[in-house]
Amino acid sequence: MASHQGGMLLWRRLALFGAIPVVVLMTLKTAFEVSREHAHHERPPFIAYEHLRIRNKRFPWGDGQKSLFHNPHTNALPTGYEE
Amino acid sequence: MIKSNHAFHLVDQSPWPLTGALGALMLTSGIVKWFHSFNMTLFISGLIILVLTSIQWWRDISRESTFQGLHTLVVAKGMRWGMILFITSEVLFFFSFFWAFFHSSLAPTMEIGLAWPPTGIQVFNPIQVPLLNTIILLASGVTVTWAHHGLMENKFSQTLQGLMSTVILGLYFTALQAMEYIEASFTIADSAYGATFFVATGFHGLHVIIGTTFLITCLLRHKSCHFSSTHHFGFEAAAWYWHFVDVVWLFLYMTIYWWGS
Repeated sequence: MASHQGGMLLWRRLALFGAIPVVVLMTLKTAFEVSREHAHHERPPFIAYEHLRIRNKRFPWGDGQKSLFHNPHTNALPTGYEE
Repeated sequence: MIKSNHAFHLVDQSPWPLTGALGALMLTSGIVKWFHSFNMTLFISGLIILVLTSIQWWRDISRESTFQGLHTLVVAKGMRWGMILFITSEVLFFFSFFWAFFHSSLAPTMEIGLAWPPTGIQVFNPIQVPLLNTIILLASGVTVTWAHHGLMENKFSQTLQGLMSTVILGLYFTALQAMEYIEASFTIADSAYGATFFVATGFHGLHVIIGTTFLITCLLRHKSCHFSSTHHFGFEAAAWYWHFVDVVWLFLYMTIYWWGS
């Protein structure tokens, strides 16, 4: 292992003055854009496409019709939206 | 007291390889049993046995190295090769999911509307949360390097800060991905798109959780002064694994999120 004189200082500065501020700025930008979009977003009308909502075998939980991260608002069941 | 007259480590008898193998067998066959008989007992039992085995096996390795000093230079070199080979095998694992993605997306079939994304699929905007996640993982690569240099220069607190920052960024990524998974308008059952998306990003997420756990373990070991400025292979292995996780995400982002939209 080579000894890096001052190597730590470089990476600390890259992290504290580069990487982390960029993460903070990107977070703010993304949060702003997402909240703006969410206010107007309408979910698409339900069309019973055969290639979507495949249920060849039921899910091994609950009534077997909902995926693991099921979202009642955005995920329609094979028969249509629940709500 | 001399235990051997060579530099290699011939380990003591241990039950963990056996319990680990049995646990892995119970876990995998348990998943199959769960899917066919809707009973989770075998799976949960396998999972518990495997977790307990991992904790005790790795605890034993820390004892053999840090406390008993049995990890000589050649032993550490062997472990370096081992970690490199393991990560290589993981690269091949992900390669298969990228193959599946390109198989479905390069020549979309009639059934999905001769298009990619398939008809009816609302994809994620790649320049929103997915881009933020990319920045987060890249930043975590910088913070783990900060920690590594801190360790090599014997700066205890700097190493702690760098490791802590890396763990926080890893947890932040996981939280954002979980939110994306819940908000998604498509599920794993929505054509080849959903299947390839959730299997590839899902296994990636699992590796992020594993990598974060590995880093947390290093954090705790560092707080207990297990590492020296010249000998800290456990930390290096965690850092290599973390960079691998980052690179896999970059490929996921460029192919599935960006090209695939």
